[in-house]
This record gives sequence, C-alpha cells and structure tokens, in this order.
Amino acid sequence: MRRAHWLAAVAAVVLSLLVPLVVQTDYKLQVLFRIYLFASLGLAWNLVGGYAGQLSLGHAAYFGAGAYGLALFSGTLGMSPWLAVLAGVAGAMACALLIGGVSFRLRGPYFALSTIAFAEILRLTAKNLPGLTGGDVGVPVPALFHGNINRSFYWAAVALAALSFALTVVISRAKFGYYLMAIREDEDTALSVGIGAARNKLAALLISAALTALAGALYASIFLFIVPDQVLALDVSNEIAIVAMLGGAGTVLGPIVGSVVLETASEIFKNTFKEAHQLIFGVLLVFVVLFLPGGIVGTIAGLLRRSDIPGEGA
Amino acid sequence: MALLEIDRVSKRFGGLQAVSDVRFSIDERTITFIVGPNGAGKTTLFNLITGAVHPDEGHIRFDGADITHISPNRAAHIGIGRTFQIVKPLGGLTVLENVMLGAFMHTSSPSKAADAAREILNYLQMEKAMHVTARGLPLAMLKRLEIARALAIKPKLILLDEVVAGLPTAEALRLAELLQKLPARGVAAVGGVEHVMRVVMSIADRVMVLDHGAQIAIGKPEEVVRMPVVIEAYLGTKYKELGL
Repeated sequence: MRRAHWLAAVAAVVLSLLVPLVVQTDYKLQVLFRIYLFASLGLAWNLVGGYAGQLSLGHAAYFGAGAYGLALFSGTLGMSPWLAVLAGVAGAMACALLIGGVSFRLRGPYFALSTIAFAEILRLTAKNLPGLTGGDVGVPVPALFHGNINRSFYWAAVALAALSFALTVVISRAKFGYYLMAIREDEDTALSVGIGAARNKLAALLISAALTALAGALYASIFLFIVPDQVLALDVSNEIAIVAMLGGAGTVLGPIVGSVVLETASEIFKNTFKEAHQLIFGVLLVFVVLFLPGGIVGTIAGLLRRSDIPGEGA
Repeated sequence: MALLEIDRVSKRFGGLQAVSDVRFSIDERTITFIVGPNGAGKTTLFNLITGAVHPDEGHIRFDGADITHISPNRAAHIGIGRTFQIVKPLGGLTVLENVMLGAFMHTSSPSKAADAAREILNYLQMEKAMHVTARGLPLAMLKRLEIARALAIKPKLILLDEVVAGLPTAEALRLAELLQKLPARGVAAVGGVEHVMRVVMSIADRVMVLDHGAQIAIGKPEEVVRMPVVIEAYLGTKYKELGL
C-alpha cells in the first residue's frame, strides 16, 4: 500500500474515533457500533471466504464462542472479563481447528454445508446444556466497560475494525495472501507449485475465528445477556457472509463498504418493514450473486481497471 | 544416475488398467516425449509422478529418493513441476501473479518473486501479457502460462501434459523452439503428446510410446518411428502419410 493509502486509513480511524464528539445520542452510537462491528466481522470472514475462497456459512460458531467464552469464563470460572475475552478467543480458535480440520477436506458446496452443520451443532448443544450455558433462558455477560458505555463500545468496535483492516492489508500483500488467492482460484494448481493448501486454509481460519470471537465478545457484553438463538444463530453466519459479499469478497475495502450499506439499510428497513427486512436481505443476496459477483467494490474496481492504463503490479 | 526412475509401475482404476508395468528413466537435462492417444495413460503417469495418485505396484525414484507415495505439494518442493492438460490458470490473477506463485517457493518477498517471474515471462516471450488477467488469455498463451508457472518453482524436472495440443502448427513450432532451451536452464522435460509430430521429432532426446497403459517402445525418436511394433500396432498408415 502506498503512503497516501496508509495516511488515508489512519485519517479514517482518527475521524472515526472523534465521531462521539459530534454524535451523542445512544441510538446513533449503537447503530455506528453495529456498522463497525460488522465491518470487523466481514473483514474476518473475508480472509477465509474472500481471499481463500472457502464459503463459510458457519461463522456464528466463532462469534458465539467469543460471546459464551466471555460469559462462562468470567461468570462461571470467575476470570477477570478481559482475560475471559482472551479465553473465548482461544476457545473459538480451538473450534476453528476442529471445524477446519474436518470441513477443509471437502470442497465447494460440501464445505459450505459442513460449516453450517458445525455452527448448528454448537447452537443446539448450547440450548440443551442449561447447567453450563443457561440453555434458552440465557446467561449474563459481564460488562467490559463502565460509565459512558455506548461511547466505549463504539471506540472498541472502531479499534477492532482498524485491527481487522490492518491485518487484511498486510496479509493481502504478503506471500500468505497470494497463497490464499491461489487456493481460491484453483487448489490443484496451488498444490502443483508447492502450496500446502490445507495448512494455509487452516491458518486463515484461525486468524478469522480469533477476530470473529473478539467481535462476539463485544456484542455479548453490550447486551449483557445472551441466548443461543441470538449469538449462535444461522442469521449471524448469514449476515457476516452477506456483508463481505455485498461489499466485495476478496477485496480490502469490500467488507467495510458492505457493512455501511447493509447495516444502514437494515436500520431503515427494520423500522419500516419489521420482520420483512429479512426478505429484503435474501433478495439483495440473490441480486449480488447473480449480477455483482465482485460485490460493490469488486465491480467498481473492475470498471476502473477497464478504463485505466494497466499499472505496475505487485 | 538417472534423475527420474519409473520402476515397474502399474495403476488400475476400477476395471481400467490405466498404467501397466511401465519402466523407464530420465536423465538430467534431457527432453523425453511420451506418445499415446487420449486414454493411453499419459496423464495418469504424470499424476503418479507428482503424487496426485499413487501406484498399485512398482516404485518411483527422483533424485535418489523414493517418491512413490509423495504428496503433490511435496513433489513441487523436491523439484518436480507440472502443467495441466486442461489448463488450470489462477483465472482471477494476472499473468505476473500466476508466475509469482511459483516463485514464492524460494522467497517470501513479493518483489523478489515478481523479479523471478518477469525473467521467466521474458524467456517465454510473454512479457507483454504480464498485467493481463489470466482468464482472458487465448489458449496459446494459457499453455505458455502453465509452463511459466511450473518453471518458477525452479524444477529439475518439468512434466508437460499435452503442451502443444490444440495449437496451430506455427505456434507449436515456436513453443518447441523455447522448450528446446530447457536443458540449458538445467531442467529436464517430459512431454505428453498424442501423435509423433515433427515438433516432437526435432526436439526430443528420447520418445516412449504408450499403448493402452503399456509401454511398447522407447528410444531415440528416429529409432522409435522405425520400430515395426510402433508402426504396426500404433502409428499405422497415418504416420506414413505424414512422410516423416
């Protein structure tokens, strides 16, 4: 990334951090929190689903692991909340190791289906172990911040989005990022040039799961109370994937654009259409897959490239 | 010592004996062509050498080590490069990036990988297409891209599966000229072709003929085409018409 790009990114982060000086209503800060949170989630998903091309529809597993990790390690085991967040991240990475170890043996739609299955197994297990997780009644989550919590959570989401973005930029420009793209484009070709496809996919999933778990912990803590159907639900998996795909899977900026568009639209539609906004999500996804396979950012970049003189690569 | 030794290798898929008791060896810096029609077992042989499938019987040795049960990405690391009969470009990436992915086997630096890739693209006379997305290339360029990517891992042996198939004669001849320089770059090549073509005759050190998975002849090209077994059992009258 050229220096101008880094400067723009740093400026965006600083401006984002300053927003609470202007925006002070709790509702608006909560909407902004959600936009940055889903930008982080989309960026995390993008490493596996975009760069490595492995369509995960079960990221709720890692999101839920982060959420329940914070609740259980802190509530049940009495760890300090921030330590419990890290324990939840470790738990999510352990899930990723297991899920990736099994699912990455499958290709294409079979991989996607197996990720859904694993997330559903976790959700149903959580529902049916009331002694451990509180089952459908739920479990309280400790507060990570005190005082002006909406502002604090907003800043935390901005920080997480910035971390996810920086990691994405570094990875996409490194050998590891090229390896992931090679695996996406053709796994046999990747193997033929010595790329350990299994190892690299798993590495991407571990990073993705860790970031997703951090977001899950933040989300759980702002609600103070979680149930399996909320943090381990298929809806969560879908929303994460849609954010990245709408904005542009396999692009650095895509998930951020996707989150801004989708979460803003979602807030508007939620009030106007109530539950029907889920239908709009579905139609939107079909539209993107059929007509904008590169997402918003991918499509615009493609148009710019066509009208541009080919630049110096790498 | 031979670079590659195929020792009584057989492979069966269900009821099909794809490769049957094949034995031959390849020396360093030589060009060998395996001749046989579609289904003769050439691609299976290449898949056996690169570890995509493993033999039922026999052994494969490369550079002194037994590689009978190697995995495809390990095969690349010990110096076996390959191209695919049905071209498999990394379609969404540029030509340069495709070749860089091979070069990454020896460096972690994208700029060094790009330098190595540029050198190979120059050798294959593809420098003008460097920034084109691979998906948009014509077949002749895709065939070259397969070779460029495989060469970028700096192999000792490169397996070229049907690398001239489907190309117009003029392009096939141009490509042959480039392939002829491989031994000078320290690379041994094994190519698979459907027919004994002029292109093959002019650049091959040796030719091996496969018929229904069995090896029926091996030797210098001019010897092989005179062998009665080859003419009768395989080449038939078509070869005589060509007047080679």
